[in-house]
Amino acid sequence: MTAVLAKAADNLSETAIDEEIVVMSLASGNFYSLTGTGRAIWLLIDGNRDLEAIVAALAADYGVAAAEIAGEVEAFVSDLTAAGLIRHG
Amino acid sequence: MSPPRTPEQAMALLDRESCVRYGPVPHELGGRECGPERWVMHDGAMLLRCTSGFGFLYQRGDGVTVERPADPDPGEEALWLGGSVHCGIAALNGLMPLHASAVAHGGRVYAFTGAAGAGKSTMVAGLGQAGLPLFCDDTLLVDPLGPDPLMALPGRKRLKLLDDALTMTGAEATGEVGADTGKHYARPLGGVVDQPLPLAMLVFLEEGPEPRWEPIGGGERIARLEDDHHGQAMYLAAQGLGRAGLFALRTRIARQVRMARLIRPRSAAGFAASVELAATHIRHDQQEFPQ
Repeated sequence: MTAVLAKAADNLSETAIDEEIVVMSLASGNFYSLTGTGRAIWLLIDGNRDLEAIVAALAADYGVAAAEIAGEVEAFVSDLTAAGLIRHG
Repeated sequence: MSPPRTPEQAMALLDRESCVRYGPVPHELGGRECGPERWVMHDGAMLLRCTSGFGFLYQRGDGVTVERPADPDPGEEALWLGGSVHCGIAALNGLMPLHASAVAHGGRVYAFTGAAGAGKSTMVAGLGQAGLPLFCDDTLLVDPLGPDPLMALPGRKRLKLLDDALTMTGAEATGEVGADTGKHYARPLGGVVDQPLPLAMLVFLEEGPEPRWEPIGGGERIARLEDDHHGQAMYLAAQGLGRAGLFALRTRIARQVRMARLIRPRSAAGFAASVELAATHIRHDQQEFPQ
């Protein structure tokens, strides 16, 4: 079991508009538009799941093998971490 | 808790706060020096100094004091009072200035925004030719302190157009603006609306080879509300909004106000086609989103 992923709620504002989730980093002021699988991953980051559980849930939703998408999900999570939008722990 | 103010109350407040008297104006406010062509806000007040020697001090509840230079240009004074000073008064009283010119149609406001020189005034004057009355020129005030829908207040600035814009739009020149602007005050052919109305649409004016209308959806509607015009900077300073507050405000506007890009060539033929395109979409909006 890897670390549980949680949104850095004190460092962001987010809203859903049309089919997108827009997240703003309160530290940098940068906007992030999440659509498609990015949006789906964001919604799975709920403070209860680790990376493996997120990959498993996403694989089930999209009907693909977890191994097929694990690398891309991990890269996306790394981007969110670097932007200060999520925490591991 | 008192109920939110009505747009009519907001308009009356703005009128009261815009009273002008003449006298000396300081060079600093709240311990901060105000350089030429700069403004400073502090504790419900705004100080603005100009290179020409004009100084303007607005204090909430006390109106505007104007300091004139030795040889004042009345045209310049009117421009400052109707421009930056007007924006500052609005901002300090909770009204958000958007850098836009607008027309009214079917009880709603359709606003056109873009950088200085993007053609905002010419577009609304052109729409006047198509029968749509002017709502405001250059500065659109919305009232985020009021209830939904987001209401816009009619502009107090007279329409200003260059010679070529007068020719293209058929608007009647009513006087020189002065202050070396080369512009004329103008009366638009579609008349003027002077009552507050809900803001329906914000259209971004852009340049391109063919007239084209593109709706803007999703998160771009929030990002598009980033504006480096002084009116928005004044609003943020006056309201002390942090990034979270600003995001919440822009989200509220983006959820309510439809947005589009109007791309067109900057030529007389392109102008006529773009006005027709805009008028068609405004009328279509009324059918698609009936009140």
